[in-house]
Amino acid sequence: MSEILESNQQRRTFLGILLGGVGLVLAGVFTWPIFRFLAPQAETEGGQIRLAKNEVSVGGAHFFSFQGLPAVLLQPQAGDYIALSAVCTHLGCVVKWVADKREFLCPCHAGQFSMEGTVLAGPPPAALESFPVSLEGDQVVVG
Amino acid sequence: MHKRLLDFLDVRLGIRDILEQNLTKYLLPKNVNIWYTLGAVLLALLSLQFVTGVLLLVYYVPNPAEAFKSVEIIMNDIPYGWLIRYLHAVGSNVIVIALLLHMLSVLFMGSYKKPREFTWISGFVLFNLTLVLCLTGYLLPWSQLSFWATTVATEAAGAVPLIGDGLVRFMRGGAMVGDATLGRFFALHVMVLPAGLVALVGFHLFCVRRIGISKPPFGEDYAPTEVADEFVHEEHPGGIPFFPNYAIKDLAVISLFLGLLALLVFFAPGLFIPPSAFEPADPFTTPAHIKPEWYFLWAYQTLKIFPSEFLGLAAQGVVMTLLALLPFLDRGKERRPFKRPLFLTCYLLGILLFVAISIWGHYS
Repeated sequence: MSEILESNQQRRTFLGILLGGVGLVLAGVFTWPIFRFLAPQAETEGGQIRLAKNEVSVGGAHFFSFQGLPAVLLQPQAGDYIALSAVCTHLGCVVKWVADKREFLCPCHAGQFSMEGTVLAGPPPAALESFPVSLEGDQVVVG
Repeated sequence: MHKRLLDFLDVRLGIRDILEQNLTKYLLPKNVNIWYTLGAVLLALLSLQFVTGVLLLVYYVPNPAEAFKSVEIIMNDIPYGWLIRYLHAVGSNVIVIALLLHMLSVLFMGSYKKPREFTWISGFVLFNLTLVLCLTGYLLPWSQLSFWATTVATEAAGAVPLIGDGLVRFMRGGAMVGDATLGRFFALHVMVLPAGLVALVGFHLFCVRRIGISKPPFGEDYAPTEVADEFVHEEHPGGIPFFPNYAIKDLAVISLFLGLLALLVFFAPGLFIPPSAFEPADPFTTPAHIKPEWYFLWAYQTLKIFPSEFLGLAAQGVVMTLLALLPFLDRGKERRPFKRPLFLTCYLLGILLFVAISIWGHYS
């Protein structure tokens, strides 16, 4: 009788270890798909974006998404274009264009940037990132 | 470390006592069989639905203009999105299979009888709640299949006298399935119904633990007993400890069902997801031979068999009401299936009828 009980216990222990092992393997196997499912998709680094010239007026600013982040296109003079990151270098807020002063103001902590992106005042530690701009027909190519 | 953690919890929560009462000293009947594992299987499958459902919510957009596209993105662009979606969609079918087996085993063993009426009724409501979850989830991909299957399913309520049309409009949020339908089905599917399901599962488990597991009506040891008119927790002295003995068996059967789900997901997802599920919904083009899911085929065909839809709906209502109230109608103390020839005949004929009408509905 005790041999049967011992044999049952051994079978149960074996099955427990087997199922535990399978469970661990499955947990491992499924952790990766869940991580990949949730991980943000890679942005295309160094890609280019094309914008129509008439999207930005002279003295105006056009905000758009570039490499997954806010960016801005300016036309200070007719036919002259500047593309900058619109993310403030202080704490990551998005700057806004003050047309009458022709400069950027960060609404979070009053950082001020020139239309070339250099810091004019406030806490930002560095200038706004600048992106290369070229013209192709009636389009502005950023990047 | 393990002992110190237990000591810490024990001083504050009396955790050792809780574990003993619910695991090692929780004794099940000696002749407990494999059918008793289906509750644990359902808990495991429902948990999987919950996890995959939350993951799908990360990318799904509940808007008719974008819903189908978002599901396409999940299937084609998001890493392993196809796996998460198939586990969710195919998993719902496996849940219905497990639920049917669970209910059929409870019926066969007469475990629904006094004093387990609440366990049966809460289980029966859970079954229906799961079907409504399936129905509401079916619309969300906004495919031709989901759009028209929902149109057909909601249209059936129109057969209810006097309030039928109003009921259909209320369910759809308008005259036709549209933006408003998706909004309300989405809210029901991800919030209202899961919350109700969790609460009801809690109540169901409470009933199971409070009254005690019923002894299977098999073997020489079994004899029908008179049920007392006062509360008695059914004990099984000398029985099998839930942990580790029966918990291992639970795990083994859960693994079996997960294996079945994996087989279906990897090799035969098309069994539950027909081609019309891959076309975006077009409210102006009804696809030919639109059919509801396999578990609604019996209801779909019943509506067609009777001369009027109202009679079909009434017949369904009578069957479901009889099933829900079974513990109050079948009051005999005998639980051995082979000593209940009338019940056994109805049971077998009922299963045959369900299968036959479903097959008829599929090919009609």
